[in-house]
Amino acid sequence: MTSIHTDVQIGICGSAGDGTIAVGDILKRAMARAGYRVIAFDEYPAEIRGFGKCVARTRITTEQVYSMKPKTDVLVSLNDAHAIPHAEEVRDFGAVIYDSAPISMIDEGWHISGHLNPGQLPYGLPMREISEQATGSNRSRNIVALGFVAGLYQLPRQAFVDAIAAKFQTKAAEVTQSNVAAFNAGYDNGAEIYRFDKVEVGPPARRTRGHDSTMMTGNAAVVRGCLDAGIETFFGYPITPATSIMERLAVEMPKHGARLLQTEDEISAISATMGAGFAGARAATATSGPGFALMSEMMGLGVMAEVPAVVFVSQRGGPSTGMPTKTEQADLNIAVFGGHGDAKRIVLAPTNVEGCWRCAGRAFEMAEAYQTPVVVLLDLYLSNRYETVVFPKKTPFVRDACKRPAQDKHNEPYRRFELTGDGVSPRAVPGEAHGIHTATGLEHNEFGRPNDLSDMHFQMTEKRHEKLNTALKHPGITIYKRFGDTGDVDVGLLAWGSTFGETLEAMLLARAEGIRCAAMKVVMLSPLPVKPIKRFLKDCKEVIVPELNYEGQFANLVSGAVGRDVIRLNRVTGKPMAVNEILDTIRSAAGKRKMRKSAA
Amino acid sequence: MSPEHPVYLEDKLEEIRDSGRLHYRSKSLPTWCPGCGYYSMTEGVTWALNEIGVRNEDVVVVSGIGCASRFPFFMETYGFHTLHGRTLPVATGVKLANDKLTVVVVGGDGDGFAIGGGHIPHVARRNVDITYLLFDNGIYGLTKGQVSPTSAIGFTTSTSPFENHDQPLNPLMMLLSYGASWVGQAYAGQPEHLAKMIRAAIEHRGFSYLHILSPCVTFDKTDRTYRNLDFSVRNLPEGHDHTDRLAAIHEATKVDQPAVGLYYVEKRPTLSDTLDEIVVRAGGKPAQQAGAG
Repeated sequence: MTSIHTDVQIGICGSAGDGTIAVGDILKRAMARAGYRVIAFDEYPAEIRGFGKCVARTRITTEQVYSMKPKTDVLVSLNDAHAIPHAEEVRDFGAVIYDSAPISMIDEGWHISGHLNPGQLPYGLPMREISEQATGSNRSRNIVALGFVAGLYQLPRQAFVDAIAAKFQTKAAEVTQSNVAAFNAGYDNGAEIYRFDKVEVGPPARRTRGHDSTMMTGNAAVVRGCLDAGIETFFGYPITPATSIMERLAVEMPKHGARLLQTEDEISAISATMGAGFAGARAATATSGPGFALMSEMMGLGVMAEVPAVVFVSQRGGPSTGMPTKTEQADLNIAVFGGHGDAKRIVLAPTNVEGCWRCAGRAFEMAEAYQTPVVVLLDLYLSNRYETVVFPKKTPFVRDACKRPAQDKHNEPYRRFELTGDGVSPRAVPGEAHGIHTATGLEHNEFGRPNDLSDMHFQMTEKRHEKLNTALKHPGITIYKRFGDTGDVDVGLLAWGSTFGETLEAMLLARAEGIRCAAMKVVMLSPLPVKPIKRFLKDCKEVIVPELNYEGQFANLVSGAVGRDVIRLNRVTGKPMAVNEILDTIRSAAGKRKMRKSAA
Repeated sequence: MSPEHPVYLEDKLEEIRDSGRLHYRSKSLPTWCPGCGYYSMTEGVTWALNEIGVRNEDVVVVSGIGCASRFPFFMETYGFHTLHGRTLPVATGVKLANDKLTVVVVGGDGDGFAIGGGHIPHVARRNVDITYLLFDNGIYGLTKGQVSPTSAIGFTTSTSPFENHDQPLNPLMMLLSYGASWVGQAYAGQPEHLAKMIRAAIEHRGFSYLHILSPCVTFDKTDRTYRNLDFSVRNLPEGHDHTDRLAAIHEATKVDQPAVGLYYVEKRPTLSDTLDEIVVRAGGKPAQQAGAG
């Protein structure tokens, strides 16, 4: 058996109503079932009905990857008008599959076959006819097309049949039968074709025993992290792209005896979260940029009154209502700095779906251990994309991370905000006899009594800042990591959030071209691990910071902290960063070095 | 005070100590102006807690911003002094985190009906098992005398130098229509009645709203003074049916002669009851025993 390392990216493009997202879903679920690693991200319009464009992209690999490829291997068009602009995404000797006999007439020049370059290989398929023959209706064009792709590349038929059955399990049995019939008809057609393209799919990786791999989105992983950390209360208000966190928790939390409430606005959501955190429960809320802006005053209270709370913020295109269904990384500033006063908080930004789970779980520990609000910063791309993830069967998250008052000090009056070496004071919660105190947004003394003497404000401000530095050494979470070449490199990449996936991919491609290159991901944005970043930058002749915002918010943060300028790669297209653009920037940065060298 | 029975300070102190009220008072002295209605509130709450017999550590007093917000510091209970207008959602979180806690929210008319007005309907309709003591003095006291949503028309303040022209809100009517399950009114100038009303409000299982008419002795010399209120405040008519919402609303419309007493009460499941029912329906086990407090 030849061992082909599978790395195939399939894009399906259609109009809303064509079933584009639905077949993309079956594809990724089937391939995950068959044991492949999957990453998938759908593009869809903000409108619920209408004729917007949908694109479902799935990358299928042997080992887990964290970004889309610069070029797609296979493009399926369910609607040529929408798919034509995506034809150029298909690589040379990749495949373009389209309906050779579409439902309605297509005007001259609007057929995708006329827009392919000579290297791309067209497969015209009478999707409508096949669907009608197999099911008596033309409604299963999308499933026929999916079957064709599966047949063409000899993908495991049974995994697809199972995935189709699972998808329609709540519907009548005929629905599944009819869809399987459409799939099989497409599959048989694809299997008969003599292929010219150079797309190859190998067998899946052998499964590791004792580890169950599941495929889920970033938001689903957040939910899993919350449950594994023993979340007790959740308060939220719907907002894209964070809503699915609350929706999923609403189903799951009651099973664990936990309570969820949809509040009247984001201000109440964070207020109730703080209330529950003050009363000793593991509490969280989830929102996006506009909602987080409303929460910023309460974040200040959380910092001042030292209340544990976890806030998930999934970024979307902004400012204001912006682009609710498009991705962006422009809320770093508000996450790290948002609010009034010296209100430092912990901010974690996972870079992949597994990280969403880990950051969610550790966020609860950190909020409790350092008695402060913790922001977990996601973005639409990370919230909505699917990856195959492997979770340990037993939760690694600590259930009680709170520093408790000593039992032998009951004769002394309780100092809720006692000044200690690490800035963390022993914390009592309502219901405990020794520990009665009032938490306040006013500056206060160690007992929590209002006090605005200058020394007191200085000491307390220092305490609230210094205690967070301990978080840099919090166990069980990678807050930064370097990849690629070790030692001195020509080009270093520094990235955060979902963009790190594309950054890593570009770095690996650059190394394959012979450029000495390394990439560092930074997961903890506040407090920033300044020392490791400085060490990394020292090794890099040029530093590139790719991110999805216009101002270079992370570049500003890093430059300010380490005192060195960086090459900024900023894109605000509403889409994930293109690997090619990062690669081009690496090449030009490396080239610039060479030119300078030869000039000298 | 008749000369035959002189009152000695020692005796008075003993009487106060024996009353058990000091058990719920912290060592911090209130910072309100002498004569402020909020002293009656402190008296009332400490008396009520003592009568009910709840443990200090099982009480959480939540306040926002305004004169009333300093209240938690004067109590020997847990307290959370929060943000302007956000007391009710914070208290909702406290209660849902631990049903055993007795949660008392204190605030003024600005905190409750200006900046925080959006939260009241929701806490009322959900029937969160907390008590809301709203001290209405019709003015912003802590910022030194500005017009409030319950200021009377024609009232002159530093920010309404040409008189207030905005129709004042009618909090009782609002709460009655929002679906609060316990609505009452009291007057700071009648501290004993006030204390009894506070006790009844805390003992009610569900969301209880007690509207307390309270003069601002410093910034209001003309309108809501003790003298004026002593003259206008009356009792609810005998035979008022406090299970009849329409009758209660009718009484609430008589703003010129505000009536004190219990306007309306109903029994219905609290938010914690509802959430526990959801847990049971989902096949889970409720983590807490709702309404144990």
